[in-house]
Amino acid sequence: MNSDFNSPDSSPVLRARGLAKIYGEGEAAVRALAGVDLDLYAGELVVLLGPSGSGKTTLLNSLGGLDVPTSGELRYRDFELTGADEGRLTQYRRDCVGFVFQFYNLIPSLTARENVALITEIARDPMPPETALELVRLGARMDHFPAELSGGEQQRVAIARAIAKRPEMLLCDEPTGALDVRTGVAVLEAIEHVNRELGTLTVIITHNAVMADIADRVIHLSDGRVHQVRQNPRRAPVHSLHW
Amino acid sequence: MISGLDRKLLRDLRRLKGQSVAVALVMGCGLAMMIMARSLIHSLESTRFEYYESHRFADLFVHLERAPLAVAERAARIPGVAAVQASIAVHVTLDLPGVDEPASGQLHSLPDRGAPELNRLFLRAGRWLAPGSRGEVLVGEAFAAANRLRPGDRLAMLVNGRRQTFQIAGVVLSPEFIFESRPGVPLPDSRTYGTFWMFYGELAAAFDLDGAFDCLALALAPGAAERPVIDAVDRLLIPFGGRGAFGRGDHPSHIRVTDEIRVLRIMSIGFPLVFLSVAAFMTNAVLTRLLILQREQIAVLKAFGFTNRQIAIHYLKFALVMVAGGTLLGGLGGVAIGHRIVDVYTLFFRFPELAFRLDRSALLWAVGVSAAAATAGVFVAVRRAARLPPAVAMRPEPPADYRPAWLERTGLGRLLSHTFRIAARNLERQPIQALFTVAGLALATGILIVPNAFRHGIEEVLDYQWDVVERQEIEIGLVEPAEIGVRHLLRQLPGVTAIEPVRNVYVRMHHGHRRRQVGIQGLPEGGAHVRMLDAASRRMELPRQGLVLSAKLADALDARVGGELVVEALDGRRRIRSVPLAGLAEDFTGVTAYMEIGALNRLLGEGDMISGATFTVDESQRGAFLRALKEIPAVGWVAIKDSLRDAFRRTTAASIGFIQRIYLVFATVVAFGVVYNNARISLAERARELATLRVVGFSRREVGAVLVTELVLLALVAVPLGLLLGAGFASVIISAVNTETVRLPLVLTARNYAFAVLVVTLSSVLSLLFVLRNLNRLDLVGALKAPE
Ligand SMILES: Nc1ncnc2c1ncn2[C@@H]1O[C@H](COP(=O)(O)OP(=O)(O)O)[C@@H](O)[C@H]1O
Ligand SMILES: [Mg+2]
Repeated sequence: MNSDFNSPDSSPVLRARGLAKIYGEGEAAVRALAGVDLDLYAGELVVLLGPSGSGKTTLLNSLGGLDVPTSGELRYRDFELTGADEGRLTQYRRDCVGFVFQFYNLIPSLTARENVALITEIARDPMPPETALELVRLGARMDHFPAELSGGEQQRVAIARAIAKRPEMLLCDEPTGALDVRTGVAVLEAIEHVNRELGTLTVIITHNAVMADIADRVIHLSDGRVHQVRQNPRRAPVHSLHW
Repeated sequence: MISGLDRKLLRDLRRLKGQSVAVALVMGCGLAMMIMARSLIHSLESTRFEYYESHRFADLFVHLERAPLAVAERAARIPGVAAVQASIAVHVTLDLPGVDEPASGQLHSLPDRGAPELNRLFLRAGRWLAPGSRGEVLVGEAFAAANRLRPGDRLAMLVNGRRQTFQIAGVVLSPEFIFESRPGVPLPDSRTYGTFWMFYGELAAAFDLDGAFDCLALALAPGAAERPVIDAVDRLLIPFGGRGAFGRGDHPSHIRVTDEIRVLRIMSIGFPLVFLSVAAFMTNAVLTRLLILQREQIAVLKAFGFTNRQIAIHYLKFALVMVAGGTLLGGLGGVAIGHRIVDVYTLFFRFPELAFRLDRSALLWAVGVSAAAATAGVFVAVRRAARLPPAVAMRPEPPADYRPAWLERTGLGRLLSHTFRIAARNLERQPIQALFTVAGLALATGILIVPNAFRHGIEEVLDYQWDVVERQEIEIGLVEPAEIGVRHLLRQLPGVTAIEPVRNVYVRMHHGHRRRQVGIQGLPEGGAHVRMLDAASRRMELPRQGLVLSAKLADALDARVGGELVVEALDGRRRIRSVPLAGLAEDFTGVTAYMEIGALNRLLGEGDMISGATFTVDESQRGAFLRALKEIPAVGWVAIKDSLRDAFRRTTAASIGFIQRIYLVFATVVAFGVVYNNARISLAERARELATLRVVGFSRREVGAVLVTELVLLALVAVPLGLLLGAGFASVIISAVNTETVRLPLVLTARNYAFAVLVVTLSSVLSLLFVLRNLNRLDLVGALKAPE
């Protein structure tokens, strides 16, 4: 199935051209992105690899409408992200994007179910929070507060929260970065499961090259540029990973 | 079904209930004061208005020597006059059984038939005078209450020199005497001064005033201006010894109620303003710090598509919940305190019925003002939160820039303990938090200064009046001015160690087109009883010529030393003379004028007369002295400094004390709330850091010591600032209360400062104990698990 993604006639969901991001000014200016060209296709699972500081987070934030690139073009289907105002970007994030962060970033005062419900309340066509939590195999711990959950469980709640609104795109920034191998695998399994079940276009950031095997495509970033794009002939099953 | 964000709101509120309650309490204090003061204004104003209307309180008043009743009819025809009431008012001396000192009062006439046209009485107890009866009087309530007199009791009076016993028919109130005190004396002493009424026929016969009157009250026609009518009345009455008509604005009882309303009005603005500013500041502190703590939560909400508006509203609701709590507390508190203060008022102000009336608009104001204060307090913080770019908020905050604290760099570092060094670095590293704590502590300290500054100001006025200005022990007034020779007779009374003559005269002073009606006190040159101080607090000698005025009065007349004033005597021969202004005296009443007695008598052109005298009396013979005074018919009234002081302590001081105590309780609540709030917030902020210290091997004691050191360092900066701030608050509020005739000095004592420091220190220690107790419960593992 993955061969479809690269066929020239299927148009990309997200298309970036010459994306650049410069933080600061003058002497202190940091060029986080230095002209990224990128196409992402519906339903694919992409791993974004690169050393620390190579601009992965910056790229992902730009794709998700969290951050505004300094220059370049960025289009989500027919929607031009570059130049869109804060209101349009908010609408874009609300309707189209799900985020998973390294430190889970759950609302500590809300239970697992409430954390998910918080987002489904403002979504157009959400699934019930319970269904989302079942998808990440957390059905039994729905009424626990984040402080009562392990790191891996918290991250699975975060995934449930991100996919409950059925976004077209799921963006994960080092989702296993704070986790040990076993829990990390469980989290990746949850993400992969969602990608397969719901066909959500998924981007996972990691600096761990081992994880590249589970992807359809692997994009290498270094010094703010796309260094290499590799097509995996076959996605490796997540449970076979070890690092 | 409540939304997810509201659920978060409720949970956050529950977690921050200590802080939220503290904010609501502070807000509640401010609102209670506002609701109380505005309701009292409403109660006093509406009650007075209804009383004036229903009992036909006059607009103009004038006393005169005597005039035939036909003159009153002429007064009624003056354009702008709607109604007149002529009557007789005379001075009487009372003989109260079991009371050593002579008591006195004013006896007023009532028409023999029907109710008076103006200034009608309200019957509190007993009955009206029986038509055609003789030997019956009505007694004013204040005097009756102070002397436990009831209808049916008998009362002995010296009426025009003849001792007569009257039966009390009823106890009454008059719109003219809502506040009752001896003319010219600002403090009430109802035990020795009263107001009485009897039929015109009987009173006129006793004083030889048949067919005449010496007192006229006038009502203005709707829309008529006061000044032209006053001038017309004065012109009409000059031949009859008219003493100058005056309006309600110069009516002693009316002024007192108006003054109270004015003070309340300032209280209803000043105090709440300070308190609500503090509350706004606290809401700001709570929310700003909450927003810092929830930086990442906000970013997540935004990442998932919550709009800026939704987020701003979420945090605004936070403030508004506190506003709702504060309004509720303020409403209940204001009504409760208002009821108590109304009870205190009934001791001074005699209304048929004075009930607490809630000013409903004050409630609306309360909600509006506190919501505005809270919104203003959080506006910047919330806007910043809403503006927070989500991508930036998502990244962990940049690591803190540790470096040797400023104190260490001074070279003192080697002398400092490890704990101290950590504390000092922390403070420098988190200047915003430190600033909040300093500002909070300073406000708490400042707010405590105000109530005591008030109390000490009032004490100072009275001490000044009674210990510095008035050195005599007893002052008497004669029924009518007498030849100066009578002082030799007075000198013979038992126990007199010194006597000085006094000549008081009521005048109208003109300078340019400004004018004031005041009494001039004529005093002997080199006298020791009444003293004047100049601006440098040096004792002034009375000049042989010319007037010495209160600096404030001179100011009101726009007169300067060396200038000439036109003095129009309103008594006796009513001479009009030009008199130089010879000096200015500093005092707190602002209405006094002094002159050498000889010079004053020459001005009046009536020979060497005295209208009273001041005494010092041998303590052991005081009883005999007073009893002897009682036997002298010419003595109209007696003022005993000690008993005035006593009466003041029992009534006015007690009520001022009550109100000040409330303010003090409020200020203490605020001080405690601010300090507690700070401690809670900094604990929440620092939980991770403190847990880290514990994890790396600091003992509880050492971590506690870091916190204590930090607080002590901040307090050392904050408290002096707070004292300054307090002096500022007090000065602004007191100068707002002051008028031409009420001048409260700004008195800031070491005692006051010490008290503020003590309360803030105690609050800090208590809050700190609370924080230290929580330190023991610090969840070491949980705090380190993950950033919230
Ligand atoms: N807000 C910012 N201000 C300044 N520089 C930044 C900011 N965010 C990221 N950078 C810099 O941009 C570069 C890329 O950062 P990032 O995208 O976070 O890399 P990665 O996620 O690959 O580790 C880094 O050099 C980083 O220091
Ligand atoms: Mg990164």
